[in-house]
Amino acid sequence: QHKQISGVSSGCQQGGCLTCSDYNGCLSCKPRFFMHLERIGMKQIGVCMTSCPPGFYGTRSPERNTCTKCRLECDSCFNKNFCTRCRAGFYLHLGKCQENCPEGLVRSDTQRECV
Amino acid sequence: RPALRAVIKVTLLKNEPMGKPITLEGLFVGGSAGYAEGKLMQYHPLSLCNTSEDERQESDFITIVKLEHRVRPCLPLLDKARMALDKGAQAVIFDVSDDANAAAELREIDSLPRPVVLVEAEDAEELMGLVNKNEEAKVRIEIMVEQSKWPHYDV
Repeated sequence: QHKQISGVSSGCQQGGCLTCSDYNGCLSCKPRFFMHLERIGMKQIGVCMTSCPPGFYGTRSPERNTCTKCRLECDSCFNKNFCTRCRAGFYLHLGKCQENCPEGLVRSDTQRECV
Repeated sequence: RPALRAVIKVTLLKNEPMGKPITLEGLFVGGSAGYAEGKLMQYHPLSLCNTSEDERQESDFITIVKLEHRVRPCLPLLDKARMALDKGAQAVIFDVSDDANAAAELREIDSLPRPVVLVEAEDAEELMGLVNKNEEAKVRIEIMVEQSKWPHYDV
């Protein structure tokens, strides 16, 4: 078992963690959990979550379930190609974030959508 | 070619500019020789698996990855190093203390545009200790011409 470094906010105590290390946090998750790589300053540790945080979407695969970042202009999404809420300055239309709306629709800044 | 020594000078940002650097040593395994400088930035071994649009660093940074034999490799280490450099790293440091195979896998990878260095034991512990305490640090890597002290590593 890795030696415990004092003062290490280790991700090892989390429920979803299957294997873990003091420096990298979670290395693998229990079934059905998602591996999210969390940046805390200069550190990046693995965290096992039941669902991915806002701004990320979950991808399942035989090897591992991971959280992947949505596109840059997207604040939250189902997957890489289907956004559900855009970043400020972008407007949602058919799951895509655009700076301008198609003809016949106008930009709604409150909803960040083409309406 | 002989295994080259990499001198790693680490200065804590909070002690700049007067702070005296900590001098560590590593093994240069490839990429352009010479010199690299940047803020130390840790990446989880699983972060260098795909080119997802993840975080972009503002300033120059040097990537450090602590390799773990328990993590099933998603890519060969050469590709991981290339991906780290593609993400903007000025150099890549692999801590191979807990992955004995890594050193063997990373031999003579001169195809990369910037330095790739291995560290282990106390040198690695020092660097990862800074990461763990989130002690922001600037790292300078200089590749020395003379032979490295890694005896078990013949190239």
